[in-house]
Amino acid sequence: MNQFVTLLVGGLFLGAIYALVAVGFVTVFKATHVINFAQGSVLLLGAYVIARSHASLGFALAVVLGVLVAAAASVAIDALLIRRIRRADLGTLAILTLGVDILLATELSRRIGTDVLNIGAPWGNDVTELFGIRIATSRVIAGAVAAVLVAGFWAVFKFTDFGIAMRSAAADGVTASLMGIRLNRVAAAAWALAGALAAVGGLFLTSFPAAGVTSGVGLLALACIPAVVLGGFDSPGGAVLGGLIIGVVSVLTAGYQEELSFLGRGLGGVAPFAVMLLVLLVRPSGLFGTREVTRV
Amino acid sequence: MSRWAAYAGIAVVLAAVPIWFESFWLQTGLFAMAAIIAAIGLSILVGIAGQLSLAHAFFVAIGAYGYAYLADKIPPVLALVAAVLAAGVAGALFSPIAGRVRGIYLGLASLGLVFLGQHILQNATGITGGYRGIAVPPFSVFGFEFTGADGMVVLGVPFGPLEKLWYLGVVLVAAALWYGHNLVHSRPGRALATLRDSEVAAATNGIDVVRYKAAAFTVSSMYAGLGGVLMALAFGRIVPESFGLMLSIDFLVMIVIGGAGSVGGAAAGAVFVTALPLVLNHYSGSLPLLAEPGSGGVGAAEFSRLLYGAAIVAVLLFARDGLAGLVHRKERVR
Amino acid sequence: MVEVAVTPPAVLDVSDLRVSYAGAVKALRGVSLSVPERGVVAVLGNNGAGKSTLLRALSGTLPAHNGAITGGTIRFAGRALSSDPAAIARGGLVQVPEGRRVFANLTVEENLRAGGLAAPDQAARAEARAWIDALFPILRERASQRAGLLSGGEQQMLAIARALMASPQVLLLDEPSLGLAPKIVEQVGAVIREINERGVTVVLVEQNAAMALSVADRAVVLEVGEVALEGAADELAESDAVQERYLGMATQAPVPGHRVASRAQPLRVDDLTVRFGGLTALSDVSFTVEPGSLHALIGPNGAGKSTCLNVLSGVYAASAGSVRYGERELTRLRPHRIAALGVARTFQNIALSPAVSVLDNLLVARHRRMRSGFVADGLRLPRARRERAEHEARVREIAALIGLDELERPVGTLPYGTRKRVELARALCAEPELLLLDEPVAGMVADESEAMARAITQARAELGISVLLVEHDMTFVMGMADRVTVLDFGRRIADGTPAEVQRDPDVLKAYLGGAA
Repeated sequence: MNQFVTLLVGGLFLGAIYALVAVGFVTVFKATHVINFAQGSVLLLGAYVIARSHASLGFALAVVLGVLVAAAASVAIDALLIRRIRRADLGTLAILTLGVDILLATELSRRIGTDVLNIGAPWGNDVTELFGIRIATSRVIAGAVAAVLVAGFWAVFKFTDFGIAMRSAAADGVTASLMGIRLNRVAAAAWALAGALAAVGGLFLTSFPAAGVTSGVGLLALACIPAVVLGGFDSPGGAVLGGLIIGVVSVLTAGYQEELSFLGRGLGGVAPFAVMLLVLLVRPSGLFGTREVTRV
Repeated sequence: MSRWAAYAGIAVVLAAVPIWFESFWLQTGLFAMAAIIAAIGLSILVGIAGQLSLAHAFFVAIGAYGYAYLADKIPPVLALVAAVLAAGVAGALFSPIAGRVRGIYLGLASLGLVFLGQHILQNATGITGGYRGIAVPPFSVFGFEFTGADGMVVLGVPFGPLEKLWYLGVVLVAAALWYGHNLVHSRPGRALATLRDSEVAAATNGIDVVRYKAAAFTVSSMYAGLGGVLMALAFGRIVPESFGLMLSIDFLVMIVIGGAGSVGGAAAGAVFVTALPLVLNHYSGSLPLLAEPGSGGVGAAEFSRLLYGAAIVAVLLFARDGLAGLVHRKERVR
Repeated sequence: MVEVAVTPPAVLDVSDLRVSYAGAVKALRGVSLSVPERGVVAVLGNNGAGKSTLLRALSGTLPAHNGAITGGTIRFAGRALSSDPAAIARGGLVQVPEGRRVFANLTVEENLRAGGLAAPDQAARAEARAWIDALFPILRERASQRAGLLSGGEQQMLAIARALMASPQVLLLDEPSLGLAPKIVEQVGAVIREINERGVTVVLVEQNAAMALSVADRAVVLEVGEVALEGAADELAESDAVQERYLGMATQAPVPGHRVASRAQPLRVDDLTVRFGGLTALSDVSFTVEPGSLHALIGPNGAGKSTCLNVLSGVYAASAGSVRYGERELTRLRPHRIAALGVARTFQNIALSPAVSVLDNLLVARHRRMRSGFVADGLRLPRARRERAEHEARVREIAALIGLDELERPVGTLPYGTRKRVELARALCAEPELLLLDEPVAGMVADESEAMARAITQARAELGISVLLVEHDMTFVMGMADRVTVLDFGRRIADGTPAEVQRDPDVLKAYLGGAA
């Protein structure tokens, strides 16, 4: 039982990180109708910048720099590329982001090579004890930061003019532009947000207990896709819930590896995708997404 | 008349390749041929039928591992057929998902399939040999073995496995191109295109949408399986890593660059994507921009990948119909 | 001293405006319109006339619909109009879009706030808010409700209020009465008058001529992208010209329907009901299409005509009731099975494959009659080649009947009218027993639609098919139909011969509003 609770809590904290990246993903989808396959390499970019600059700038400034670079890169992707074919269909836009992902990921893995870069977090390998459960300090901080950021963004979306503008644009872009809402600005803001969240997610995904920043980190962001599918593509709340669930599923299957060994080793990596397939079969619109009408 | 002359010319040139070129080119060519066959399948699925799929590597793996597992137990020709059929069946089994989810969601479901596939390949060690992989039994037809063991010599050139496989590859590619072209320009091809452009219009014109989606996946997976068999034969030894998301993305890149929906385009894209890194690597000593791997510069593999990424972006922004569109210069459709 | 009549300055001046979609469809062919300050101008016309296009050009949202201004000018308050919709809205020209388009998942309060983003400053916003509270007390009550849950009338009020939050100088309204009950339509009319009294100039696009003409000072009637009539609203309301266009009256007496010997079976629709979530699109609709007859299904926008066709072709599921073709119950069948029974249809928005040639598009209709498949066609077996030649010949014949040549060109490169004809040809290539036509002449000029009418009657005569025709163009319908069924708000309100229907008071009310 104790193992279960430890794993559950660990999974929730990991899930919080996934939730963060997933919210960024959903924000971009809602605001600009793009499924951003480049999210993973933007995440890696943010982590890379932090890892390379913390020695000279100190951790705090390095984080700020990483977040800004990731946000700027995201906005650049939208402004320079996506905007040109804004009205193309989802599949084409998704493949475009895939192309960008290939470019960015290749360049970053070239620079990182086989190194494992230290993200330079001040909490290092510390472990905290919460109600008798031992969890990596970085995860606890990740959870707290995620909670604050998600709450903050929720407040912004719900109560500020900017939030109203973004939600209106997401609901009905053309009508929103009739209201004087500048769609390009909303799009840029959404992409910047997603980039920033990805960077923060990257920071925590490369802290202890992970080894550090490696070329393969970008693939970790792929794990957020099941989270988004689970929650429903157009629901930020769903993204949060989806992230938490996927985090828990991931950690539990990895933790009970022995008991589940008949399903093969390395379950932790594939379980989220199995869940995703299940969701797509049973309820394609996810837990909170919106549904379809015609039959053929 | 001139068309036949052109085909004859090409046939002569292709037949002469093993005589003139060394094994590096033969092997590169074989990889390209395997990719061409698989890419044609994906082009039919994505370009004609409009079903976005990232699972192609999974079906290629079934072909490759199917052949590798069966070929020393039953005659290799049968093993080839069985592997292709197995891939087709897998495609047919996956197709109901295409009925439940559309567009990008289908793409995501297929993403799940790739990872699931990797998991199975790594863990079903009895059949697949796990992460260490398994050796691929050589091909043989009616006792004629595709190895170097019989000491065959043609026009002064010793014919080993690569040389013999080359001809097998050419025949398979020719068949794949011919069948694909026929399919696209006939009743099933029209039905799939209508399916892509408007499922409702397809259905109200008497096209059974469910059946045709299943057919599209089956045909495309069979192509993938055949490509997988050829790939296995060309490698000699296969490991699960080769059949992951990267391979699926590579195929997608091939058909986007070549022009989705074009059989010839898929072939062109396949040659470009497969051959480029291998050729660049081969000449990296003499090419000024490329550096040795690990030295911090841009190596052949990275340069190729950067080129693909840039090519996808360029094609989607400026030449949506890919190479095929540039060659055919069709009337601009809005 | 001589009094010189001073015409108020035009706040909105449209001059010879030309608009086309996707470079091919000419939606406006030189429209000129002058909207005086503090006036109310009504823009009337049928579907496809170009009313919405005109508003889109004014609000800058053409690019979002793949359209572009190809000629002419628009001047707002003496200056050239910006091309950015957000800038236009912030400049005081605000549109209430067609279909209300409230942000369903935002509350009423949040919707209003969104509208206020275009206001010049906080003070203007506050003032607008106070005014809206007075105009629409119901919205005050429902402030924290999600907009999607409001009734149609309340949503329309919200949409207008949302636009008013921007303190507009000119308000554009796109079909505000769409799908609303007559009483609510009256209220909307009253609101528009109040808004105008407060100093806001109004451009009102409407299909409901009566309401629009009772509210407006001046009116313009558009027909296939050109101004067909214009003048003072009250004069137009009296004129025969308007009545004629809206109900196809004063045209030649409808040709008495003659039954062509037909192999088709009767199509019986019984108490058909269709519900989507909370919305009832069709309610207990019944009618019968006799074999070989041309049966028209008409009604105002939103009446449920397309929904009905979709159920008949199997695309939508029926919630209750039955549709029988001969003995077969259609509501249980998937679309391709219905097609196999000999039912073919066209689509209002054209469902052709744009990158594919005309010939190949037409051949798709032969799909159910051909047998060759993945094996025969893939291997180019002789029987596949023979079959193809045979069916291609037949398709070319039918194409010639419709007047189509250039069969090798991709459909997407052809002009709109030609594409509509390809759409019809494709349905005819299926050689059906029952043909369902969804607005086959929408957006066509007079001679194009005459040609279509001839094609349809000729095909009917030669192939002996039954035709169920959904259309807005009354002249087209009344001249061709044997029988007419009229829908409004998803219910059948009339059914009979064209002459009977033209005189039916319920029908007149539905189309012309209370003024009939």
